[in-house]
Amino acid sequence: MFKYSIGLSSWPRFNVAALRNVRFLASEARVTVKPLHSRKTFLIDSYKDMMDKNPVVLFAHHNNLLKQENAFFRSQIQQLGGKMTVVRNQLFQVYLRNSHLEDPCAPSEKLEQNRQHPLMPLFKGPTAAITFSETEPDKIAKLLKLLDKSSDKMFVVGAKIEGQVLDVPSIHDFKTLPSKNALQGQLLGLLTVLSGAGLVRTLEAGSHSLYLTLQSHHDNIDPENKKSE
Amino acid sequence: MITKYFTKVVVRFNPLGKEAKSARLLLCAIPPAQRTSGTSIQNELLVNGSSKSPIVKITFKDKTEMEADPSSMTFKELGNYFDRHSRKLSLKESIESQ
Repeated sequence: MFKYSIGLSSWPRFNVAALRNVRFLASEARVTVKPLHSRKTFLIDSYKDMMDKNPVVLFAHHNNLLKQENAFFRSQIQQLGGKMTVVRNQLFQVYLRNSHLEDPCAPSEKLEQNRQHPLMPLFKGPTAAITFSETEPDKIAKLLKLLDKSSDKMFVVGAKIEGQVLDVPSIHDFKTLPSKNALQGQLLGLLTVLSGAGLVRTLEAGSHSLYLTLQSHHDNIDPENKKSE
Repeated sequence: MITKYFTKVVVRFNPLGKEAKSARLLLCAIPPAQRTSGTSIQNELLVNGSSKSPIVKITFKDKTEMEADPSSMTFKELGNYFDRHSRKLSLKESIESQ
């Protein structure tokens, strides 16, 4: 089969096989469990978008907030550069189960679903997601301080930061870190300092010793050298 | 669940544990207006390896305290459990008001 598919004569067959996994807008409709333009499909898509685009997503329990409390928290979070979204638990769990698949809205076998997702137990009761588009621990520290003062109207129960699922104590550890840019700067500074002294020498030590060995061998077998002796 | 006679609610739970569902549902079953009118709500989050056990502790108007373990009860069972005393208080109130 494979031998034939390389030849020019079977070019169309090869083409079809290669394009099986490519979806064209015109050729193939998107298959979803719920109707394509339904609210549920839209919400699952928006959760996928939210989780993929934001490196920091904190999940908070909110005790039924009054309208002004809700507005207060939303505006405070917005001032920190984040966004608060109240999620629908069942739909978010559907997203989590299918998050490793290509399309979380598509029908999936029970066996290929991920029912042990570490975030799954957080979606029992009123949950809001607080998203930040950049990893800045100082903003998370400010947010946690704000929620601490809120006398348990809202509190963080878990988070997903840079692809890692964190529980409450690790979030409190995380917030003390310097920001990502500062850390990268520190690493760069460290490398520059090291390269002045040790690092470059260590890196070139192997090739240098090889060069010396070969050079001495070359000197040994060189006929001109022998003549001069 | 009758929450009218609660004066203090203390909830301790692990958000990743099995008890989280009933504990969190109980927390959000208390109306926000009641929070502003004197009922104090405290919650404490536990960590996976901590030695403290999850608990729901409620103090009523007549200073009776009731405790329950949210990991072994559903939210409905918790509600029924605390309603036992709340109903006593409401009966007493209705008799006294006559």
